[in-house]
Amino acid sequence: MVSKQEVLGKRPLQILEKIRENLERLNDKMEVMIELQKHGRKDFQPLPETPLDVMTLLSMPDHLRKTAMTLCRLGRATAEEISQQTHRARAVESAYLNQLVIMGYLKKERKGRKAYFYIEKESQG
Amino acid sequence: MTTLGKIIAVHSYKGGTGKTLLSANLAATFVKHGKKVCLFDLDFRAPSLSTVLKIEKVECWLNEYLNGTCEIDKVLIDLSDRIQNSGKLFVGLANPSTEAMRDMSAKDRKWEMRALGRLLALRNSLLNDKGFDYLIFDTSPGLQYSSINAIVGADLVIVATTLDRSDVDGTKRMLHELYDLFEKKTDIVLNKVLHDVYSQPGKEELHVKIKDLYQAPLLGIIPCFCDVLKAEGSILFAQERPEHPFAKILDEMATKIDNMA
Repeated sequence: MVSKQEVLGKRPLQILEKIRENLERLNDKMEVMIELQKHGRKDFQPLPETPLDVMTLLSMPDHLRKTAMTLCRLGRATAEEISQQTHRARAVESAYLNQLVIMGYLKKERKGRKAYFYIEKESQG
Repeated sequence: MTTLGKIIAVHSYKGGTGKTLLSANLAATFVKHGKKVCLFDLDFRAPSLSTVLKIEKVECWLNEYLNGTCEIDKVLIDLSDRIQNSGKLFVGLANPSTEAMRDMSAKDRKWEMRALGRLLALRNSLLNDKGFDYLIFDTSPGLQYSSINAIVGADLVIVATTLDRSDVDGTKRMLHELYDLFEKKTDIVLNKVLHDVYSQPGKEELHVKIKDLYQAPLLGIIPCFCDVLKAEGSILFAQERPEHPFAKILDEMATKIDNMA
């Protein structure tokens, strides 16, 4: 565990960075919880992995399709990178991406401060 | 994501609208204009490019690339010697054997998803790394997995259509319920036209009619040429009959595509 003194000893910028990082994590978690509540799911398990094929893309609501298509093109991306392509706000893309994760279409992986979203292609079916 | 090259999918609602003829001749026209082009047969249900181009020896089929058992380099066949001038023409062929067609029709959603990933990867491997100017996907008609994969992977969708009533209705539906949903730039090519397209008023009248009908940009109008039909799909008009009006129409289409942003 990091002691209080150790954190406060660092430069203010780093502390702010840390706060921002934690807020972003919290934000992500809240988005997931909101989505789960919307769908009336009591357990916090995402749906089983579902292939994100073109027929699925076709049947998706427009706002999610845009996000999913952009990720298809980029392969692996953060909400920020997706938002640059779709010209929608980062927080909006983050919410949609997390929704797609819950639906089982995408995977999410944290690397340091950043959350990467990607499509699982290697699992055999 | 700065790619100079473009991926074009040639699609239609119904069969027999001239997709293969258009794809092959458009590819040849681009090559005549000095471009480096690869033409892919994505009609796995009824492959035809190997016959049209009279190719007998194939090291690897496109099927194998999509299966993940073969690299794209081994699929590409260099046909540059068939076209004069400075461009380059390569093709990637679908396996026409009955067994291969059966195998492709039995693929599941996961396979199709991975196949889409491999099609999307061509942008990097061929457009970016190998400097191709155009990849042209000749597809199956209608709502087929392989065709929709091609559409999703493309920058421009060319829809070949005729004035046949069921084709018009189906094409209109696809414009709104398929290409629009994927936010694809879509251009119409009207083929086998029997109207007067040689006089300026006749041409203009038809242009207005088509734009009204489809509410989509028109890339070109191809009259019904008996000698194109007589060739039984075995001639690259762009190369073998450069003076033919069909070759001239292709020239105009290729120039229009070249000038697109």
